[in-house]
Amino acid sequence: MVAEGDGALARLTGAKKRYGATVALDGLDLEVRPGELLALLGPNGAGKTTAIGILLGLQEPDAGEARLFGRSPHDLAARRGVGVMMQEVMLPDALRVGDLISQVRAYYPDPLGFDEAVALAGVEKLVQRPYVKLSGGQKRQVQFALAICGRPRLLFLDEPTTGLDVTARETMWATLKRVVKDGASIVLTTHYIEEAEALADRVVVMAKGRRIAGGTVREIRSLVVRKRIDCVTAVELSAIEAWPDVIAVSREGERTAITANDAEGVVRRLLAADKTLADLEVRRAGLADAFAELTQEPAE
Amino acid sequence: MTASPITPAVPAMPFSRTVRAYLSDAKYESIRLFRTPAFSVPILAMPILFYSFFGIVLAGKSNIGQLANNLFVGWTVYGVMGPGLFGFGILVAVERNQGLLTFKRALPMPTGSYLASKLMMAYVFAVAVMIMLVGIAVTMGHVTLPAATLIRMAAVMSLGVIPACAVGLFIGAYAPASSAAAFANITYLGMAFLSGLFFPLSGFLHDIRSAWPTYHLSQLARASGGMKSEGEPLVHVAVLAAVTVVLVALAARKLSRKG
Repeated sequence: MVAEGDGALARLTGAKKRYGATVALDGLDLEVRPGELLALLGPNGAGKTTAIGILLGLQEPDAGEARLFGRSPHDLAARRGVGVMMQEVMLPDALRVGDLISQVRAYYPDPLGFDEAVALAGVEKLVQRPYVKLSGGQKRQVQFALAICGRPRLLFLDEPTTGLDVTARETMWATLKRVVKDGASIVLTTHYIEEAEALADRVVVMAKGRRIAGGTVREIRSLVVRKRIDCVTAVELSAIEAWPDVIAVSREGERTAITANDAEGVVRRLLAADKTLADLEVRRAGLADAFAELTQEPAE
Repeated sequence: MTASPITPAVPAMPFSRTVRAYLSDAKYESIRLFRTPAFSVPILAMPILFYSFFGIVLAGKSNIGQLANNLFVGWTVYGVMGPGLFGFGILVAVERNQGLLTFKRALPMPTGSYLASKLMMAYVFAVAVMIMLVGIAVTMGHVTLPAATLIRMAAVMSLGVIPACAVGLFIGAYAPASSAAAFANITYLGMAFLSGLFFPLSGFLHDIRSAWPTYHLSQLARASGGMKSEGEPLVHVAVLAAVTVVLVALAARKLSRKG
């Protein structure tokens, strides 16, 4: 059940979708709260794009429900609050960048000023160019301009920085931060873990059409209990291997690497066993490690 | 649940901005197609080349009176039908394929603006074609009809844009992007020849000439110009309207199912 007044800008409830034999979404619940940047992380085929497509009314869920601003996504009034950057889109080749921005701005009740939209997206130099003459990265920048030019309350960005050079990516990151600061919400799918770490207030990790974890970047990381211990020690590998909670041990040169569930216990044993132990380092898995671990199906 | 008690409202779209959105879509659709030579050159140049060749060069001195008027009506009907037929027939098929339609459906584009902008674009092109054809007709084509009659005929023929768009939309909805142009061309030329626009028909083809929308449009144009015409104008209008409704309904069924 979705009530109008629950604060979520967009919500999927028990959304299921299949394409033939492929399950794209398998009962996904998702909500986007005001003023947050939500990163959807997951490997290819996790259902991220399908989830966005259903929230935008581009696809119908086989089961479950999608709401945008408490309305059906097919409701034009709901989509007036939304800006979109899709993964694969062709825009009319013959139009200039400025034409495209003007045309999309006209769909919104209270769009950004033309110059403001152009500056925010960093496409000032492209305004007079025909879209067809742009490079792949420039096209992504223009698609980003189209996504933000309507002053949307909610932005859907499907892998927005794929194909961008470093400068363009930094411009986009800065703009995304500013858009969120100004009160809008963003749903971002990405393959770049560092993008989620740099930008996201909240992360939802998806695999095989399901939500397998959700929380802040820090919470997602802490879900993964494994830690990595590096040190220089004289203790035999076979001895360490036999300790409880040790998952793997390896030695490269003089450094020993230990993966363990209970880092504190292993460190205590190490220090007791080896008075000469040096260069001790304990790290929590990064989001990349967490992500890889979470999306691995135990059954496989 | 979050603390925020109320879903933030989206500002309402004033009626004047909705109208502006329709007009801006129509403007940019026309601009982009004028800038696309693969579309604009054949649409604008072919009727003029054909009319100049068949109506002036080939017809020569025999091109007087009734024949001159016949050629004028035939090639103008042909020219008027082109933008709608190709504008919808090829573009809808291609844009369906490219994901442009999907993107537009995700945007808050006003309902109907996708089709309305193409219809307006077809009108803009059709009017441009007619202005050029009327210019040729009165300067070199030996057409001596009064200006008021020509304007009335042009107005009637411009109605042909609507069924032309419907035929195009039907093609665009069903044909694959790769072959939509071929289907549109066959339909366009086929309808023009089989409805007797360019030369009199005989036998079976003569008997089925009223199956084609172009036939009804040319008879309406002839009637409005005081030329010899067949059938009742109201029947022609009804047939054109019926063709439009049926084809649009069939296309809408296909498009709403698959986008």
